[in-house]
Amino acid sequence: MPEFTKPYESRWQAFLLLLPTFAVLIAFLYYPGVETFRLSLQQTILLGTRKTFVGLENYATLATSSAYHWSFAISVAFAAVVVVGTLVASLFVAYLLFQVDVGSSTYLIAAIWPYALPTAVAASVLLFLLHPSLGIITYVLESLTGTSLDWFTNGPQAFAIVAVVAIWKQLGYNIIFMVASLNNIPETLTESAKLDGVGHLKMLYRVYVPLMSPTLVFLVVMNTIYAFFQTFPLVDLMTSGGPNEATNLLIFKLYRDAFEFSNLGLASAESVVLFAIVAILMYVQLRLSESYTTYA
Amino acid sequence: MATRSTSESTLARLLPGDIDAEQALVHGGLVVSIFLMGLPLLLALIMSTQNTTEVYQITNVGIGSQGLSNYETVLGEYNFGQYMINSVVMSVIIVVGKVTLSLFAALALVYYRFPYERAVFMFILLTLLLPVPVRIVPLFDLMARLGWGNTLMAITGPYIASATAVFLFRQHFMSIPASLVENAHLDGVGPLKFLWEVLIPMSRGMIAGVSVITFIYAWNQYLWPLIIMSDQSKQVVQVGLRFLQAASQSGLTRWGIIMAGAVIALLPPLAVLIVMHRPLLKTLAIQQK
Amino acid sequence: MSDIHIDGLTKEFDDVTAVDDISFDVDSGEFLVLVGPSGCGKSTTLRMIAGLEDITSGELRIGERRVNELAPKERNIAMVFQNYALYPHMTSAENMKFGMKSVSDYTSEEINERVRKAADILDIPELLDRKPSELSGGERQRVAIGRAIVREPDVFLLDEPLSNLDAKLRVQMRAELLQLHRELDATTVYVTHDQTEAMTLGDRVAVLNDGQIEQVDPPQMLYDFPDTRFVAEFIGSPAMNIVPIDLAFGDGAVAHHESFELSLPNPELFTERPDSAYFGVRPEDVSLVDNVAGDPETFEAEVSVTEPLGESLLVHCLLGGDELHVKAEARTELDAGDTVELCVDEERLHVFDDAGDAIYHSSPRGETVSDAAETQVEP
Repeated sequence: MPEFTKPYESRWQAFLLLLPTFAVLIAFLYYPGVETFRLSLQQTILLGTRKTFVGLENYATLATSSAYHWSFAISVAFAAVVVVGTLVASLFVAYLLFQVDVGSSTYLIAAIWPYALPTAVAASVLLFLLHPSLGIITYVLESLTGTSLDWFTNGPQAFAIVAVVAIWKQLGYNIIFMVASLNNIPETLTESAKLDGVGHLKMLYRVYVPLMSPTLVFLVVMNTIYAFFQTFPLVDLMTSGGPNEATNLLIFKLYRDAFEFSNLGLASAESVVLFAIVAILMYVQLRLSESYTTYA
Repeated sequence: MATRSTSESTLARLLPGDIDAEQALVHGGLVVSIFLMGLPLLLALIMSTQNTTEVYQITNVGIGSQGLSNYETVLGEYNFGQYMINSVVMSVIIVVGKVTLSLFAALALVYYRFPYERAVFMFILLTLLLPVPVRIVPLFDLMARLGWGNTLMAITGPYIASATAVFLFRQHFMSIPASLVENAHLDGVGPLKFLWEVLIPMSRGMIAGVSVITFIYAWNQYLWPLIIMSDQSKQVVQVGLRFLQAASQSGLTRWGIIMAGAVIALLPPLAVLIVMHRPLLKTLAIQQK
Repeated sequence: MSDIHIDGLTKEFDDVTAVDDISFDVDSGEFLVLVGPSGCGKSTTLRMIAGLEDITSGELRIGERRVNELAPKERNIAMVFQNYALYPHMTSAENMKFGMKSVSDYTSEEINERVRKAADILDIPELLDRKPSELSGGERQRVAIGRAIVREPDVFLLDEPLSNLDAKLRVQMRAELLQLHRELDATTVYVTHDQTEAMTLGDRVAVLNDGQIEQVDPPQMLYDFPDTRFVAEFIGSPAMNIVPIDLAFGDGAVAHHESFELSLPNPELFTERPDSAYFGVRPEDVSLVDNVAGDPETFEAEVSVTEPLGESLLVHCLLGGDELHVKAEARTELDAGDTVELCVDEERLHVFDDAGDAIYHSSPRGETVSDAAETQVEP
């Protein structure tokens, strides 16, 4: 809290100032959020015209559905790959940006631009460039490795391709935070380590990464949320969940159950599961950032 | 260094400092990384000038015969001109609405005395737990009941209040020296005058940063407009890319046109990022806390 | 101009009492300094006068008006802050004008006229169109003072206004503030932690400690007749020597210490007669015997450290288990381990009881003490 006495006391003014924000949050966030829980206990029949209370049946369906298990499992795997891949690639670039002597601001813009890259654009571009029969990148990769890429029919390949695109789009965001975090490290630490003749890799893993850990935790959480919630355009435009459900992530399955199969009750139960995932992630972030602040 | 050849160490002495080889590696690493990151875009740019025959010659990576005519086609024939306008209107409304509402809310939170302040702030912050997919079915339902389907309100309304923006402005206001606030307090400066003549001028960087973040975020919306806007002519450009793919699915896919559409759909946020990267970086640095 | 009456003023924050039932008056046109260590409640007191803090209990009157419940702008006060509180995006003139319209219904012609006048008084007309970032610390402080002057307030409140300036500028600004006060003749309450500032600026000085007032008096009175041990040690630099003594009252009064015995003049001035107490004497009121004519009572001490202060030499002496600081002539030849013969100025002795209250000053209070003026403050 600020250390001054607040100058304004009129409660109705405060209320009026908060009203627009509250109105939007209640109408479009809290109300539908709560409704999700209610709908998840119902079953909709006849294109949503009749609703019946079914208790936890939708959850039971999810718990016993092997398709949902599969979707859950690959979503977790997908998040893990995206988080690790993004962090490693971003850390590499961020460390170079931190080390470079001249032109760092130009390099920085050239490295963070994917922050502005719309996911659907990333999907469209790489769908073509990685196209099994037309893609120039596919062509180069195939001639270099001698393998054949056919991710339109090969599930694991499709999974990997979607993950790569997801990582590509997320690099900018991660590099921004990592460079900021590296620049916050006191120069004296770098200098004293240099005097001791500590090598680059060792510096990175022994000095910088531990000091960046609050940022890294934050990025793990944000990247996980991204992998679960913001990758819909990738699946929708590149694979439609296939082949063989290999990329049928929770977010895509939710969309299909709700808006293609009109199974609103089931879809709401899936939303509740997603809510649980965000809640856990936010809680982790909060607890860890608290422990870092007390530590610092 | 023992392994270094004579010529290298001579070079080292000519260059300032003794870090030439190391810096060369760093520059090299950066150039390669940035090239790899930018390569798909570069290729998309090239392919966007090719006609379908040229596209189907896989190894042809030269500028195509179409020049900018693919762009004309996608903007006109494929309605991207309209989608772009729709996206710009949506994003600008969200940016202006969110900044305005959040400034008001932060003004109340930081400078007004009222009961349950902490709870009010938590109530705003907790909405971070409710991203669109968590409430997508009831939200769709609500829009249908309000009769907002296919309206601008449907794709802007749910986005114009935000925990993040309120949080950022609140942080920034709290960092303004107490004496400046007390000075206004002593003079009895009213809240709107204080907001307009003190807070906003002193928050220009933060407002710019929040605007950039919001613009890029709004521009990137895909799932929600896809669901709520069934009228194609009112659709945003990201979903336009989906139409583009579907439209060219029959027969030979016109990838040159799709690439042109993708490039167009990328330009506004990219331009905003490049022009406004400074306030953006400063603002993001605060967001993490 | 208005006077200020403060009666039983108290401020409680949650479970801490920051200001504890203090009372004092500021006369119309008077320059009163509130001084004390950090956390003593001086700033909180000032902020209660300004209306920036609610008053927990007690009464505050400016002129004849009770202002406890009035909003700051209705109190007709102006405040100058330590960090100048200038809006970075406004020019000096805009800073001075900002808020004027809210305070009262001035026309912009009147406001411009006042700004011009204030700028002339402060000699800053050429700074009016510059922004704070283009000004030096001293110039910013002038603009901040200008902003206060423009309001033509009943009361000026200044909260450590010189603390952010470097030492040289501080001395200069101090003189200018005095000059300004003489010109404007405004009722002023000035908060500082710096006793030198307090002594040089104040018509009267209120010493605060731990939320309570220790003493309110003109500077010289504060220096010569400290009411409490706290004031004695806080005002003056180097600080007054305080050593424990036993007291014996026969025909006269005698102070016994393990290394000296001293008869105290005017024993009738003792307000209490305890067996043990604390003896206080300022470093400049102790002298090396060679330098003293006549035959005063003397005692011996061992030199432990010497600190040349330039215009004098500060000698740390061991008196048994206690330490005594002595201000000796500059360039006196002394080394650690030397034994010196000391005597004290009999007119300038003090005794405090165990609770820290003064029970004796060797001169009757209110009498001017001849040679005090030249030694009152640090250089």
